Amino acid sequence: MIEVENLVKHYGDKKAVNDISFTIRDGELVGFLGPNGAGKSTTMNVITGYLSATSGSARINGIDILEDPMEAKRHIGYLPEQPPLYMDMSVNEYLDFICDLKKVDRNRRSHIDDICEQAGITGVYRRMIKNLSKGYKQRVGLAQALIGDPEVLILDEPTVGLDPIQIVEIRNVIRDLGRQRTVILSSHILPEVQTICRRVLVINEGKIIADDSPQNLSKYVEMNHRMQIRVAAPQSKAEQILREIPEMGEVVFEGVMEEDTSDFMICARDNADIRRLLFNGCAKAGCPILMMNPLSASLEDIFIKLTEKSETNEKEA
Amino acid sequence: MFAIFKRDLRAFYTTPIGYAFSGVVILIMNLCFYYMNVETSSSDVKRIFYWLLLGLAFLAPILTMRLLSEEKKTKTDQLLYTVPLRITDIVLGKYLAALCVFLISLVGTFMIPVILSMFSVAEYWAILGNYVAIVFAASAFIAIGLFVSSTSENQLVSALVSWAILVGLWLVDTLVANVEIRFIRVIVDWVSVFARYESFTYGLFDLSDILYYFSITAVFLFLTVRMLDKRRYA
Repeated sequence: MIEVENLVKHYGDKKAVNDISFTIRDGELVGFLGPNGAGKSTTMNVITGYLSATSGSARINGIDILEDPMEAKRHIGYLPEQPPLYMDMSVNEYLDFICDLKKVDRNRRSHIDDICEQAGITGVYRRMIKNLSKGYKQRVGLAQALIGDPEVLILDEPTVGLDPIQIVEIRNVIRDLGRQRTVILSSHILPEVQTICRRVLVINEGKIIADDSPQNLSKYVEMNHRMQIRVAAPQSKAEQILREIPEMGEVVFEGVMEEDTSDFMICARDNADIRRLLFNGCAKAGCPILMMNPLSASLEDIFIKLTEKSETNEKEA
Repeated sequence: MFAIFKRDLRAFYTTPIGYAFSGVVILIMNLCFYYMNVETSSSDVKRIFYWLLLGLAFLAPILTMRLLSEEKKTKTDQLLYTVPLRITDIVLGKYLAALCVFLISLVGTFMIPVILSMFSVAEYWAILGNYVAIVFAASAFIAIGLFVSSTSENQLVSALVSWAILVGLWLVDTLVANVEIRFIRVIVDWVSVFARYESFTYGLFDLSDILYYFSITAVFLFLTVRMLDKRRYA
Protein backbone atom coordinates (compact mmCIF):
# COMPACT_ATOMS: atom_id res chain seq x y z
CA MET A 1 0.00 0.00 0.00
CA ILE A 2 1.23 3.49 -0.83
CA GLU A 3 -0.13 6.52 0.94
CA VAL A 4 0.89 9.98 -0.17
CA GLU A 5 -0.37 12.97 1.78
CA ASN A 6 -0.16 16.62 0.80
CA LEU A 7 3.13 16.12 -0.94
CA VAL A 8 4.91 19.31 -1.96
CA LYS A 9 8.32 19.52 -3.60
CA HIS A 10 10.04 22.73 -4.61
CA TYR A 11 13.13 23.03 -6.77
CA GLY A 12 14.25 26.49 -5.83
CA ASP A 13 11.31 28.68 -6.78
CA LYS A 14 9.70 26.10 -9.02
CA LYS A 15 6.95 23.96 -7.56
CA ALA A 16 7.51 20.57 -9.16
CA VAL A 17 4.86 18.84 -7.06
CA ASN A 18 2.12 20.93 -5.58
CA ASP A 19 0.08 19.31 -2.84
CA ILE A 20 -0.56 15.80 -4.14
CA SER A 21 -2.47 13.21 -2.12
CA PHE A 22 -3.48 9.70 -3.10
CA THR A 23 -3.68 6.16 -1.77
CA ILE A 24 -2.86 3.04 -3.72
CA ARG A 25 -4.18 -0.20 -2.27
CA ASP A 26 -2.41 -3.53 -2.26
CA GLY A 27 -2.42 -5.22 -5.64
CA GLU A 28 -3.48 -2.17 -7.61
CA LEU A 29 -1.83 -1.33 -10.93
CA VAL A 30 -1.95 2.42 -11.26
CA GLY A 31 -0.77 4.63 -14.09
CA PHE A 32 0.65 8.12 -13.67
CA LEU A 33 -0.22 10.03 -16.77
CA GLY A 34 1.09 13.45 -17.56
CA PRO A 35 3.17 15.46 -20.03
CA ASN A 36 6.90 15.83 -19.55
CA GLY A 37 7.72 17.98 -16.56
CA ALA A 38 4.34 17.38 -14.92
CA GLY A 39 5.89 16.07 -11.71
CA LYS A 40 5.59 12.33 -12.28
CA SER A 41 9.24 11.51 -11.80
CA THR A 42 9.57 13.87 -8.86
CA THR A 43 6.64 12.21 -7.11
CA MET A 44 8.20 8.80 -7.72
CA ASN A 45 11.58 10.00 -6.49
CA VAL A 46 10.01 11.20 -3.26
CA ILE A 47 8.10 7.94 -2.71
CA THR A 48 11.28 5.93 -3.20
CA GLY A 49 13.30 8.14 -0.88
CA TYR A 50 15.66 9.50 -3.54
CA LEU A 51 14.45 13.02 -2.87
CA SER A 52 12.97 14.51 0.28
CA ALA A 53 9.67 16.30 0.12
CA THR A 54 9.47 19.99 0.98
CA SER A 55 6.39 19.07 3.00
CA GLY A 56 3.89 16.25 3.23
CA SER A 57 4.56 12.56 3.64
CA ALA A 58 4.81 9.28 1.77
CA ARG A 59 4.23 5.90 3.43
CA ILE A 60 4.96 2.46 2.03
CA ASN A 61 2.99 -0.29 3.76
CA GLY A 62 2.45 2.14 6.60
CA ILE A 63 6.14 2.99 7.01
CA ASP A 64 7.11 6.61 6.51
CA ILE A 65 9.95 6.91 3.99
CA LEU A 66 11.57 9.72 5.99
CA GLU A 67 11.15 8.26 9.44
CA ASP A 68 12.37 4.76 8.65
CA PRO A 69 13.92 4.86 5.18
CA MET A 70 15.83 1.57 5.59
CA GLU A 71 12.68 -0.41 6.33
CA ALA A 72 10.48 1.42 3.81
CA LYS A 73 13.01 0.93 1.00
CA ARG A 74 13.00 -2.81 1.64
CA HIS A 75 9.46 -2.92 0.25
CA ILE A 76 10.18 -0.98 -2.93
CA GLY A 77 11.58 -1.94 -6.30
CA TYR A 78 12.34 1.12 -8.37
CA LEU A 79 13.10 1.50 -12.05
CA PRO A 80 14.06 5.14 -12.62
CA GLU A 81 13.56 6.90 -15.93
CA GLN A 82 17.14 6.12 -16.88
CA PRO A 83 17.89 2.55 -15.78
CA PRO A 84 20.71 2.71 -13.21
CA LEU A 85 23.13 0.35 -14.91
CA TYR A 86 26.87 0.00 -14.54
CA MET A 87 28.24 -0.24 -18.04
CA ASP A 88 31.44 -1.97 -16.92
CA MET A 89 29.59 -5.00 -15.55
CA SER A 90 27.99 -8.00 -17.18
CA VAL A 91 24.31 -8.72 -16.54
CA ASN A 92 25.02 -11.52 -14.07
CA GLU A 93 27.61 -9.50 -12.15
CA TYR A 94 25.20 -6.59 -11.99
CA LEU A 95 22.29 -8.64 -10.69
CA ASP A 96 24.62 -10.27 -8.19
CA PHE A 97 25.65 -6.81 -7.00
CA ILE A 98 21.99 -5.82 -6.63
CA CYS A 99 21.45 -8.94 -4.52
CA ASP A 100 24.40 -7.82 -2.35
CA LEU A 101 22.88 -4.35 -2.01
CA LYS A 102 19.42 -5.64 -1.14
CA LYS A 103 20.91 -8.38 1.05
CA VAL A 104 19.22 -11.25 -0.76
CA ASP A 105 21.03 -14.34 0.46
CA ARG A 106 18.59 -17.20 0.38
CA ASN A 107 18.40 -19.10 -2.93
CA ARG A 108 20.13 -16.28 -4.71
CA ARG A 109 20.89 -18.35 -7.78
CA SER A 110 17.31 -19.50 -8.40
CA HIS A 111 15.93 -16.06 -7.49
CA ILE A 112 18.08 -14.42 -10.18
CA ASP A 113 17.18 -17.14 -12.68
CA ASP A 114 13.46 -16.62 -12.08
CA ILE A 115 13.77 -12.89 -12.56
CA CYS A 116 15.82 -13.25 -15.74
CA GLU A 117 13.12 -15.54 -17.06
CA GLN A 118 10.43 -13.04 -16.16
CA ALA A 119 12.23 -10.06 -17.67
CA GLY A 120 13.32 -12.06 -20.71
CA ILE A 121 17.06 -11.55 -20.30
CA THR A 122 18.19 -15.15 -19.85
CA GLY A 123 19.77 -15.03 -23.31
CA VAL A 124 22.01 -12.06 -22.50
CA TYR A 125 22.89 -13.20 -19.01
CA ARG A 126 26.65 -13.23 -19.55
CA ARG A 127 26.94 -10.19 -21.81
CA MET A 128 28.38 -6.82 -20.85
CA ILE A 129 25.66 -4.28 -20.13
CA LYS A 130 27.30 -1.62 -22.29
CA ASN A 131 26.91 -3.87 -25.35
CA LEU A 132 23.17 -4.45 -24.88
CA SER A 133 20.50 -2.72 -26.94
CA LYS A 134 18.30 -0.10 -25.36
CA GLY A 135 15.44 -2.57 -24.99
CA TYR A 136 17.58 -5.11 -23.15
CA LYS A 137 19.06 -2.41 -20.94
CA GLN A 138 15.53 -1.45 -19.97
CA ARG A 139 14.77 -5.08 -19.12
CA VAL A 140 17.89 -5.40 -17.02
CA GLY A 141 16.72 -2.27 -15.21
CA LEU A 142 13.37 -3.93 -14.64
CA ALA A 143 15.06 -7.12 -13.40
CA GLN A 144 17.03 -4.98 -10.95
CA ALA A 145 13.78 -3.60 -9.53
CA LEU A 146 12.38 -7.11 -9.11
CA ILE A 147 15.28 -8.43 -7.06
CA GLY A 148 14.36 -9.05 -3.46
CA ASP A 149 10.69 -9.58 -4.35
CA PRO A 150 9.46 -6.12 -3.32
CA GLU A 151 5.71 -5.77 -2.76
CA VAL A 152 5.67 -2.34 -4.34
CA LEU A 153 7.05 -1.67 -7.82
CA ILE A 154 7.61 1.83 -9.09
CA LEU A 155 8.39 2.09 -12.78
CA ASP A 156 9.20 5.43 -14.34
CA GLU A 157 8.36 5.43 -18.06
CA PRO A 158 9.29 1.78 -18.52
CA THR A 159 8.56 1.70 -22.25
CA VAL A 160 10.27 4.88 -23.36
CA GLY A 161 12.71 4.41 -26.23
CA LEU A 162 11.69 0.84 -27.01
CA ASP A 163 10.56 -0.43 -30.39
CA PRO A 164 6.88 -1.43 -30.81
CA ILE A 165 7.48 -5.16 -30.30
CA GLN A 166 9.53 -4.56 -27.17
CA ILE A 167 6.83 -2.22 -25.87
CA VAL A 168 4.20 -4.94 -26.17
CA GLU A 169 6.50 -7.42 -24.44
CA ILE A 170 7.36 -5.12 -21.56
CA ARG A 171 3.68 -4.25 -21.13
CA ASN A 172 2.83 -7.92 -20.82
CA VAL A 173 5.58 -8.38 -18.25
CA ILE A 174 4.23 -5.45 -16.25
CA ARG A 175 0.68 -6.73 -16.46
CA ASP A 176 1.85 -10.09 -15.11
CA LEU A 177 3.73 -8.40 -12.29
CA GLY A 178 0.64 -6.39 -11.43
CA ARG A 179 -1.21 -9.58 -10.53
CA GLN A 180 0.73 -10.09 -7.32
CA ARG A 181 2.12 -6.66 -6.56
CA THR A 182 1.28 -3.03 -6.12
CA VAL A 183 2.58 -1.26 -9.20
CA ILE A 184 2.84 2.39 -10.17
CA LEU A 185 4.00 3.17 -13.65
CA SER A 186 4.31 6.51 -15.31
CA SER A 187 3.82 7.38 -18.92
CA HIS A 188 3.01 10.27 -21.16
CA ILE A 189 1.19 8.02 -23.63
CA LEU A 190 -2.54 7.68 -23.03
CA PRO A 191 -3.17 4.35 -24.82
CA GLU A 192 -0.35 2.80 -22.84
CA VAL A 193 -1.88 3.37 -19.43
CA GLN A 194 -5.27 2.53 -20.89
CA THR A 195 -4.13 -0.92 -21.91
CA ILE A 196 -2.28 -1.79 -18.71
CA CYS A 197 -3.84 0.01 -15.78
CA ARG A 198 -7.20 -0.18 -14.08
CA ARG A 199 -6.76 3.20 -12.51
CA VAL A 200 -5.14 6.34 -13.86
CA LEU A 201 -3.90 9.42 -12.03
CA VAL A 202 -3.54 12.33 -14.40
CA ILE A 203 -0.91 14.80 -13.26
CA ASN A 204 -0.34 18.22 -14.72
CA GLU A 205 1.81 21.04 -13.39
CA GLY A 206 2.39 19.24 -10.12
CA LYS A 207 -1.28 18.56 -9.39
CA ILE A 208 -3.56 15.58 -9.78
CA ILE A 209 -6.29 16.70 -12.15
CA ALA A 210 -8.04 13.35 -12.53
CA ASP A 211 -8.16 10.06 -10.67
CA ASP A 212 -10.30 7.68 -12.65
CA SER A 213 -10.60 4.42 -14.52
CA PRO A 214 -9.27 4.41 -18.09
CA GLN A 215 -12.84 3.84 -19.35
CA ASN A 216 -14.07 7.05 -17.79
CA LEU A 217 -11.02 8.88 -18.95
CA SER A 218 -11.52 7.78 -22.53
CA LYS A 219 -14.97 9.36 -22.47
CA TYR A 220 -13.10 12.60 -22.86
CA VAL A 221 -11.63 11.18 -26.02
CA GLU A 222 -14.95 10.13 -27.47
CA MET A 223 -16.55 13.41 -26.60
CA ASN A 224 -14.49 15.01 -29.22
CA HIS A 225 -15.88 14.10 -32.64
CA ARG A 226 -13.20 15.25 -34.98
CA MET A 227 -12.53 13.56 -38.28
CA GLN A 228 -10.24 13.82 -41.18
CA ILE A 229 -12.04 13.06 -44.45
CA ARG A 230 -11.23 12.89 -48.13
CA VAL A 231 -14.03 13.60 -50.58
CA ALA A 232 -13.91 12.98 -54.33
CA ALA A 233 -14.87 16.52 -55.33
CA PRO A 234 -13.14 19.85 -55.82
CA GLN A 235 -12.79 22.05 -52.76
CA SER A 236 -15.68 24.47 -53.37
CA LYS A 237 -18.22 21.77 -54.18
CA ALA A 238 -17.15 19.51 -51.35
CA GLU A 239 -17.22 22.36 -48.86
CA GLN A 240 -20.77 23.23 -49.92
CA ILE A 241 -21.93 19.63 -49.43
CA LEU A 242 -20.29 19.41 -46.01
CA ARG A 243 -21.75 22.66 -44.76
CA GLU A 244 -25.28 21.55 -45.68
CA ILE A 245 -25.06 18.58 -43.32
CA PRO A 246 -27.03 19.26 -40.15
CA GLU A 247 -25.05 19.58 -36.91
CA MET A 248 -21.83 20.19 -38.85
CA GLY A 249 -19.52 22.46 -36.92
CA GLU A 250 -16.10 23.44 -38.12
CA VAL A 251 -14.96 22.60 -41.65
CA VAL A 252 -11.31 23.20 -42.41
CA PHE A 253 -9.83 22.58 -45.84
CA GLU A 254 -6.53 20.75 -45.57
CA GLY A 255 -5.39 20.58 -49.16
CA VAL A 256 -5.39 18.25 -52.15
CA MET A 257 -3.51 15.01 -51.50
CA GLU A 258 -4.91 13.06 -54.44
CA GLU A 259 -6.04 14.25 -57.84
CA ASP A 260 -9.67 15.48 -57.99
CA THR A 261 -10.21 15.12 -54.28
CA SER A 262 -10.01 17.42 -51.31
CA ASP A 263 -9.17 16.78 -47.67
CA PHE A 264 -10.98 18.35 -44.74
CA MET A 265 -10.80 18.34 -41.01
CA ILE A 266 -14.34 18.49 -39.68
CA CYS A 267 -15.79 18.77 -36.26
CA ALA A 268 -19.42 18.13 -35.26
CA ARG A 269 -21.43 20.56 -33.17
CA ASP A 270 -22.20 19.44 -29.60
CA ASN A 271 -20.17 16.29 -30.11
CA ALA A 272 -22.89 14.71 -32.21
CA ASP A 273 -22.17 11.56 -34.16
CA ILE A 274 -22.52 12.75 -37.76
CA ARG A 275 -20.94 9.83 -39.60
CA ARG A 276 -24.21 8.57 -41.12
CA LEU A 277 -25.35 12.06 -42.07
CA LEU A 278 -21.98 12.64 -43.63
CA PHE A 279 -22.18 9.46 -45.65
CA ASN A 280 -25.73 10.10 -46.86
CA GLY A 281 -25.02 13.74 -47.69
CA CYS A 282 -22.02 12.93 -49.84
CA ALA A 283 -23.71 9.94 -51.47
CA LYS A 284 -26.70 12.06 -52.47
CA ALA A 285 -24.42 14.59 -54.14
CA GLY A 286 -22.57 11.78 -55.92
CA CYS A 287 -19.23 12.54 -54.29
CA PRO A 288 -17.92 9.39 -52.58
CA ILE A 289 -16.04 9.62 -49.35
CA LEU A 290 -12.64 8.06 -49.93
CA MET A 291 -11.37 8.28 -46.40
CA MET A 292 -12.85 8.87 -42.97
CA ASN A 293 -10.40 8.96 -40.16
CA PRO A 294 -11.67 9.74 -36.66
CA LEU A 295 -9.15 11.82 -34.78
CA SER A 296 -9.06 10.85 -31.14
CA ALA A 297 -8.35 13.66 -28.80
CA SER A 298 -4.68 13.94 -28.08
CA LEU A 299 -3.36 13.85 -24.58
CA GLU A 300 -2.98 17.61 -24.81
CA ASP A 301 -6.69 17.95 -25.57
CA ILE A 302 -7.54 15.86 -22.55
CA PHE A 303 -5.24 17.90 -20.39
CA ILE A 304 -6.81 21.10 -21.58
CA LYS A 305 -10.27 19.69 -20.86
CA LEU A 306 -9.28 18.34 -17.46
CA THR A 307 -7.47 21.49 -16.44
CA GLU A 308 -10.44 23.59 -17.52
CA LYS A 309 -12.65 21.31 -15.46
CA SER A 310 -10.48 21.47 -12.38
CA GLU A 311 -10.22 25.24 -12.70
CA THR A 312 -13.98 25.69 -12.90
CA ASN A 313 -14.38 23.29 -9.96
CA GLU A 314 -12.00 25.44 -7.98
CA LYS A 315 -13.89 28.59 -8.88
CA GLU A 316 -17.20 27.03 -7.88
CA ALA A 317 -15.72 25.87 -4.62
CA MET B 1 29.01 -1.46 2.71
CA PHE B 2 30.80 -4.58 1.59
CA ALA B 3 28.74 -4.69 -1.63
CA ILE B 4 29.87 -1.18 -2.57
CA PHE B 5 33.46 -1.94 -1.60
CA LYS B 6 33.48 -5.05 -3.76
CA ARG B 7 31.94 -3.36 -6.76
CA ASP B 8 34.20 -0.34 -6.70
CA LEU B 9 37.34 -2.34 -6.15
CA ARG B 10 36.37 -4.47 -9.12
CA ALA B 11 35.63 -1.39 -11.19
CA PHE B 12 39.16 -0.10 -10.51
CA TYR B 13 40.59 -3.19 -12.15
CA THR B 14 38.11 -3.55 -15.01
CA THR B 15 39.13 -0.05 -16.12
CA PRO B 16 42.76 0.97 -16.63
CA ILE B 17 42.68 3.31 -13.61
CA GLY B 18 43.65 0.72 -11.02
CA TYR B 19 46.50 -0.70 -13.10
CA ALA B 20 47.78 2.75 -14.06
CA PHE B 21 47.72 3.89 -10.45
CA SER B 22 49.50 0.81 -9.13
CA GLY B 23 51.98 0.99 -11.98
CA VAL B 24 52.93 4.60 -11.31
CA VAL B 25 53.22 4.05 -7.53
CA ILE B 26 55.55 1.09 -8.06
CA LEU B 27 57.50 2.99 -10.71
CA ILE B 28 58.05 6.02 -8.47
CA MET B 29 59.12 3.89 -5.56
CA ASN B 30 61.51 1.71 -7.47
CA LEU B 31 63.06 4.53 -9.49
CA CYS B 32 63.61 6.55 -6.34
CA PHE B 33 64.98 3.49 -4.63
CA TYR B 34 67.43 2.94 -7.43
CA TYR B 35 68.70 6.52 -7.57
CA MET B 36 68.60 7.34 -3.89
CA ASN B 37 69.61 4.03 -2.36
CA VAL B 38 71.22 1.68 -4.82
CA GLU B 39 73.30 4.32 -6.63
CA THR B 40 74.43 6.02 -3.44
CA SER B 41 74.66 2.85 -1.35
CA SER B 42 72.37 4.33 1.25
CA SER B 43 69.86 2.45 3.35
CA ASP B 44 67.85 5.52 4.21
CA VAL B 45 64.30 5.09 2.88
CA LYS B 46 62.96 8.41 4.16
CA ARG B 47 63.43 10.28 0.93
CA ILE B 48 61.84 7.71 -1.35
CA PHE B 49 58.74 7.71 0.79
CA TYR B 50 58.68 11.48 0.72
CA TRP B 51 58.73 11.35 -3.06
CA LEU B 52 55.89 8.86 -2.99
CA LEU B 53 53.95 11.24 -0.78
CA LEU B 54 54.44 14.02 -3.33
CA GLY B 55 53.45 11.61 -6.07
CA LEU B 56 50.31 10.75 -4.14
CA ALA B 57 49.22 14.38 -4.15
CA PHE B 58 48.95 13.94 -7.91
CA LEU B 59 47.81 10.33 -8.02
CA ALA B 60 45.17 10.18 -5.30
CA PRO B 61 42.77 12.44 -7.24
CA ILE B 62 42.92 10.04 -10.18
CA LEU B 63 41.83 7.29 -7.86
CA THR B 64 38.97 9.25 -6.32
CA MET B 65 37.71 11.41 -9.19
CA ARG B 66 35.38 8.73 -10.54
CA LEU B 67 33.97 7.39 -7.30
CA LEU B 68 30.96 9.62 -6.73
CA SER B 69 30.99 11.89 -9.80
CA GLU B 70 30.42 8.96 -12.11
CA GLU B 71 27.49 7.65 -10.08
CA LYS B 72 25.83 11.01 -10.32
CA LYS B 73 26.49 11.35 -14.03
CA THR B 74 25.20 7.91 -15.04
CA LYS B 75 22.33 8.23 -12.53
CA THR B 76 23.34 5.01 -10.86
CA ASP B 77 23.20 7.01 -7.64
CA GLN B 78 19.44 6.68 -7.97
CA LEU B 79 19.90 2.98 -7.36
CA LEU B 80 22.20 3.39 -4.37
CA TYR B 81 19.92 5.88 -2.63
CA THR B 82 16.74 3.87 -3.13
CA VAL B 83 17.94 0.48 -1.87
CA PRO B 84 18.09 -0.17 1.87
CA LEU B 85 21.60 1.18 2.30
CA ARG B 86 22.90 3.95 4.54
CA ILE B 87 24.81 6.81 2.95
CA THR B 88 27.60 6.16 5.45
CA ASP B 89 27.92 2.65 4.00
CA ILE B 90 28.17 4.01 0.47
CA VAL B 91 30.89 6.48 1.45
CA LEU B 92 32.86 3.99 3.55
CA GLY B 93 32.64 1.32 0.87
CA LYS B 94 34.03 3.66 -1.76
CA TYR B 95 36.71 5.05 0.53
CA LEU B 96 37.91 1.57 1.49
CA ALA B 97 37.94 0.46 -2.15
CA ALA B 98 40.26 3.33 -3.10
CA LEU B 99 42.45 2.74 -0.05
CA CYS B 100 42.61 -0.92 -0.94
CA VAL B 101 43.93 -0.12 -4.42
CA PHE B 102 46.69 1.87 -2.74
CA LEU B 103 47.49 -0.99 -0.37
CA ILE B 104 47.66 -3.41 -3.28
CA SER B 105 50.10 -1.04 -4.98
CA LEU B 106 52.24 -0.89 -1.86
CA VAL B 107 52.64 -4.65 -1.94
CA GLY B 108 54.52 -4.11 -5.21
CA THR B 109 57.17 -2.14 -3.32
CA PHE B 110 57.93 -4.81 -0.73
CA MET B 111 61.02 -5.84 -2.63
CA ILE B 112 62.66 -2.64 -1.36
CA PRO B 113 62.89 -3.73 2.29
CA VAL B 114 63.81 -7.22 1.11
CA ILE B 115 66.74 -5.91 -0.94
CA LEU B 116 67.76 -3.57 1.88
CA SER B 117 67.80 -6.38 4.42
CA MET B 118 69.91 -8.49 2.11
CA PHE B 119 72.56 -5.92 1.32
CA SER B 120 72.64 -3.58 4.31
CA VAL B 121 71.70 -3.20 7.90
CA ALA B 122 68.09 -2.28 7.41
CA GLU B 123 66.40 -0.04 9.95
CA TYR B 124 63.27 -2.11 10.23
CA TRP B 125 61.43 0.30 12.49
CA ALA B 126 62.10 3.23 10.22
CA ILE B 127 60.87 1.27 7.22
CA LEU B 128 57.76 0.16 9.04
CA GLY B 129 57.21 3.73 10.23
CA ASN B 130 57.40 4.95 6.67
CA TYR B 131 54.89 2.40 5.46
CA VAL B 132 52.47 3.24 8.24
CA ALA B 133 52.93 6.95 7.57
CA ILE B 134 52.28 6.70 3.87
CA VAL B 135 49.12 4.66 4.48
CA PHE B 136 47.79 7.27 6.89
CA ALA B 137 48.66 10.11 4.52
CA ALA B 138 47.08 8.30 1.57
CA SER B 139 43.98 7.72 3.66
CA ALA B 140 43.67 11.46 4.27
CA PHE B 141 44.28 12.28 0.59
CA ILE B 142 41.66 9.78 -0.53
CA ALA B 143 39.11 11.18 1.93
CA ILE B 144 39.74 14.69 0.59
CA GLY B 145 39.44 13.44 -3.01
CA LEU B 146 36.25 11.54 -2.22
CA PHE B 147 34.70 14.65 -0.76
CA VAL B 148 35.58 16.67 -3.85
CA SER B 149 34.14 13.89 -6.01
CA SER B 150 30.83 14.22 -4.17
CA THR B 151 30.54 17.88 -5.14
CA SER B 152 30.69 17.53 -8.91
CA GLU B 153 29.34 15.21 -11.55
CA ASN B 154 32.29 15.89 -13.78
CA GLN B 155 35.27 13.60 -13.22
CA LEU B 156 37.74 16.07 -14.65
CA VAL B 157 36.55 18.85 -12.37
CA SER B 158 36.79 16.47 -9.40
CA ALA B 159 40.35 15.54 -10.31
CA LEU B 160 41.47 19.13 -10.92
CA VAL B 161 39.97 20.48 -7.71
CA SER B 162 41.53 17.65 -5.66
CA TRP B 163 44.87 18.35 -7.30
CA ALA B 164 44.55 22.03 -6.54
CA ILE B 165 43.84 21.28 -2.88
CA LEU B 166 46.61 18.70 -2.37
CA VAL B 167 49.27 20.50 -4.36
CA GLY B 168 48.17 23.75 -2.74
CA LEU B 169 48.72 22.23 0.70
CA TRP B 170 52.18 21.20 -0.32
CA LEU B 171 52.99 24.65 -1.78
CA VAL B 172 51.88 26.41 1.40
CA ASP B 173 54.21 24.12 3.23
CA THR B 174 57.17 24.84 1.02
CA LEU B 175 56.59 28.57 0.92
CA VAL B 176 56.05 28.97 4.62
CA ALA B 177 59.56 27.76 5.33
CA ASN B 178 60.69 31.16 4.08
CA VAL B 179 58.31 33.14 6.22
CA GLU B 180 60.08 34.99 9.00
CA ILE B 181 57.15 35.24 11.36
CA ARG B 182 57.50 32.35 13.76
CA PHE B 183 53.85 32.35 14.74
CA ILE B 184 52.65 31.59 11.21
CA ARG B 185 55.28 28.94 10.77
CA VAL B 186 54.25 27.12 13.90
CA ILE B 187 50.60 27.18 12.91
CA VAL B 188 51.21 25.96 9.38
CA ASP B 189 53.57 23.29 10.60
CA TRP B 190 50.93 22.10 12.97
CA VAL B 191 48.12 21.81 10.42
CA SER B 192 50.30 20.79 7.50
CA VAL B 193 49.73 17.35 6.04
CA PHE B 194 53.32 17.25 4.82
CA ALA B 195 55.19 18.58 7.87
CA ARG B 196 53.41 16.08 10.07
CA TYR B 197 54.54 13.38 7.77
CA GLU B 198 58.23 14.03 8.35
CA SER B 199 58.26 13.11 12.01
CA PHE B 200 56.57 9.87 11.08
CA THR B 201 59.30 8.94 8.66
CA TYR B 202 61.98 8.87 11.35
CA GLY B 203 60.16 5.88 12.78
CA LEU B 204 58.70 7.92 15.59
CA PHE B 205 55.15 6.87 16.35
CA ASP B 206 53.64 9.98 17.79
CA LEU B 207 50.02 9.44 18.78
CA SER B 208 49.14 13.03 17.89
CA ASP B 209 50.37 12.49 14.32
CA ILE B 210 48.28 9.37 13.90
CA LEU B 211 45.30 11.14 15.39
CA TYR B 212 45.88 14.06 13.07
CA TYR B 213 45.67 11.99 9.87
CA PHE B 214 42.85 9.97 11.29
CA SER B 215 40.93 13.18 12.03
CA ILE B 216 41.41 14.56 8.53
CA THR B 217 40.10 11.30 7.10
CA ALA B 218 37.14 11.26 9.46
CA VAL B 219 36.25 14.91 8.88
CA PHE B 220 36.26 14.59 5.11
CA LEU B 221 34.33 11.34 5.13
CA PHE B 222 31.78 12.99 7.37
CA LEU B 223 31.58 15.99 5.04
CA THR B 224 31.06 13.61 2.10
CA VAL B 225 28.14 11.95 3.88
CA ARG B 226 26.62 15.35 4.61
CA MET B 227 27.14 16.45 1.03
CA LEU B 228 25.35 13.38 -0.34
CA ASP B 229 22.56 13.73 2.16
CA LYS B 230 22.10 17.38 1.26
CA ARG B 231 21.43 16.37 -2.36
CA ARG B 232 17.98 15.09 -1.38
CA TYR B 233 16.87 18.58 -0.51
CA ALA B 234 18.04 20.19 -3.73
